[in-house]
Amino acid sequence: MDLDMRKIFAIAWKDTLIAFSSATQWVFFIILPLVFTFILGGGFAGSGVRPDDRVRLIVVNEANTPTAQQLLDALAPVTAVHTDVLLRADADAELAANRAAAVLVIPHSFDPAAASGASLQFKQRPNNLDAPIAERAVEAAAQHVGSPVAAARMAVAEAERIRPFADDAARQAYFDKALASAQTLVSNAPKRLDVTRPTTTPYRYNQAVNTSAGQLLTWVFIPLLSISALFAYERRNGTMRHLLTTPASRAQLLLGTLVGQFLTALVQMALLVGFGIIVMHLNWGQQPVALAVLLIPFALSGVALGTMLGTFIKSESQANGLSIMLGMVMALLGGCWYPLEIFPEGVRAAVHVLPTTWAMQGLIDIAGRGLGPAAVLPNAIVLLGFAAVFFVVGALRFRFE
Amino acid sequence: MNKLFTIAFKDLTLAFRDRAALILMLAAPMALTLGLGVVTGRFSGGDDSGGLRDIPVIIVNQDDGQLGKALADVFSSTEIGTLVKPIAATTADAARKQVDDDTAAAAVIIPPGFTDSIIPSAAAAGRVMPATIELRTNPARPVSAGVIQSIVESFLSSVEANRISRQVAIEQLVTSGLVQPGAIISAAQAFGERQAVAPSAPSAQAITIERVTDTGKPPPAFDALAFLAPGMALLFLMYTVTRGGAQLLAERDGGTLARLLVSPTSATQVLGGKIAGLFLTALAQVAILIGASTLLFGLRWGDPLGLVLLVPAVALAATGWGLLLTSFVKTPQQISGLGSAAMLLFGVLGGSFGNFALPGFLQTLGKVTPNAWGIAGFSALGNGGALADILPNVVALLAIAAVTFAVAVVMFQRTGFVKK
Repeated sequence: MDLDMRKIFAIAWKDTLIAFSSATQWVFFIILPLVFTFILGGGFAGSGVRPDDRVRLIVVNEANTPTAQQLLDALAPVTAVHTDVLLRADADAELAANRAAAVLVIPHSFDPAAASGASLQFKQRPNNLDAPIAERAVEAAAQHVGSPVAAARMAVAEAERIRPFADDAARQAYFDKALASAQTLVSNAPKRLDVTRPTTTPYRYNQAVNTSAGQLLTWVFIPLLSISALFAYERRNGTMRHLLTTPASRAQLLLGTLVGQFLTALVQMALLVGFGIIVMHLNWGQQPVALAVLLIPFALSGVALGTMLGTFIKSESQANGLSIMLGMVMALLGGCWYPLEIFPEGVRAAVHVLPTTWAMQGLIDIAGRGLGPAAVLPNAIVLLGFAAVFFVVGALRFRFE
Repeated sequence: MNKLFTIAFKDLTLAFRDRAALILMLAAPMALTLGLGVVTGRFSGGDDSGGLRDIPVIIVNQDDGQLGKALADVFSSTEIGTLVKPIAATTADAARKQVDDDTAAAAVIIPPGFTDSIIPSAAAAGRVMPATIELRTNPARPVSAGVIQSIVESFLSSVEANRISRQVAIEQLVTSGLVQPGAIISAAQAFGERQAVAPSAPSAQAITIERVTDTGKPPPAFDALAFLAPGMALLFLMYTVTRGGAQLLAERDGGTLARLLVSPTSATQVLGGKIAGLFLTALAQVAILIGASTLLFGLRWGDPLGLVLLVPAVALAATGWGLLLTSFVKTPQQISGLGSAAMLLFGVLGGSFGNFALPGFLQTLGKVTPNAWGIAGFSALGNGGALADILPNVVALLAIAAVTFAVAVVMFQRTGFVKK
């Protein structure tokens, strides 16, 4: 088999030039991937356009009492939530406009020391993913403010169990002293929990790593599957048959087309990784060799799958539709959109039949856990296995006519 | 009108006979909805809201007191249910290694003397050392590790509240002379026994939290599929309407539009029929997706009357956008590319992929998409909202339709798109 590389690269270059003569190609090659990575990866957080990426909790402080202020003070140090104090009408408008995860209403009657207890209202939009985070913060703050009151009440009950108070004033005085003591103890409570992480991980985990990795794989994978449309186009127009009259072998023609797509994918991945490092300040640059070890086999598996798909479909429109659908579904199931850890156990195991799963896990190992080439080598080998199987099936079924 | 409807039904029939188009019109949104159901555990039985299950957590209990055992028991309690899958380990180092090797989401390491550091025993009195629980977290499983952290924090918060209650109660009894200093230990033990009988969190008695939605109703359990399915249904609507636009341009370029116009059919009837066909296709697409997801996945879309109003409004707004984009391009290929880009951009700006942190100007920009108003409307209906709750959404969608239609018509007239 004659594999003159100059001819192969000439065909690859020709295909690339044709593809990038269309504005649409540029949109899908780089513009949309960057837009999606930036937006879904929280790129606006901390940019000044949006002050931070914490969950926004609006507080309506109708009580305006020292205890209500204690509650606000207890919310202030929570790292995952930032609070804004607004009037009720403004708060409701913000919630309705989806500009806040939840609204906490501290009513006029809020007084935890009252015999009937105190009530807070927590308003959220249904099925809001951020609301549980705000809710946990409110529960912790309520615990912080409420526990001294509860402790003081228990102290009063214990005293009353031994000897009844002379009158209400004596009971109140006993309660006040117990409350002051409990508040001091709460303020001085020792640290009981130490959260540690692997010492091998040189940096803090960033949620944007997941998003950036997932978007990279999604946007590279779909165009690779679209190779099937390229074959459908060539078959429909008979251009491949025309090329067969040139002094280029069938293998050169086929490889030229695939090499062009493969190199385009590598350039696209390099651009997206660079964007992640420079603009999103992600940790992609820590393990460049590991990235290469993983992403080259991933691109090969995509090229091979696109080739195989091209032998099953009949028209370009079919190929385009299937590429988008399969690409999106495989990205979703491979953990590129939502972390694999939230998948049910059986599903988590089953999705290992997809190349996207192995690629995504490898990327998380590199950028999330700080692991190197040796750690992602098994993933790379599996991806090469996928590439081999897809390519063999595609090659066996491939017809130039 | 007969001619207009004939053209419209012909285009509707052609759209649903195009098997390639059906891939993105129906198969893709259904496949993604199915995929979302699978990955969120919606179809796994039991708790049908989906979400995390069987989080592997390693418990190393080196404490020989009651609190260490109580914390270990929390992870196998009925309250936690299937959320976690506790794994016992003997040494802290082995547990840390398992987390570092990504075989567990976290390890909870309870040190020796933990109970004594909070409830000093008579033997340990006077020589209590502070003891801190170590939570080893796996950075590759941040969500699961966060869940374990919140469980441990909640336990510690409860323990701390009980400790403070006990200490305050006993100190006050001693200060007021109700208990003699020599009887502190027995008083503390008696108090502890009474707490054990009524173990509810003390703060629950002081502050209660009433949880409601923005409509004043109790919030429903989080349903991942209900949250994401409307977004998927609307995501591919832009493909359908721009595909219709591409067909329109192809008919013009292929001369079939000109042939139609030499028949005794007015230009208004022809264009009206084409637009009506596009609208009916979009309407049928959303209706089929709603019907199929109801039957296949058991999704609850809410008030049928509300749907009857909302679905046509969404289809109309999307049709308007399809025509507007078509009016600005020259070739079917251009509108196909632009349509795919618009589908994805509208999806991310309008919330089809979920709620993301967008700055104000992008949130405002998202309001021009049928996705934003449609998804909000479907969510309101799905969460028990009535017709009145979605009227603003319907009005907004009709406004989008009116503006986009008007601009598209002006553009078509300028370019002489349909001329006898």
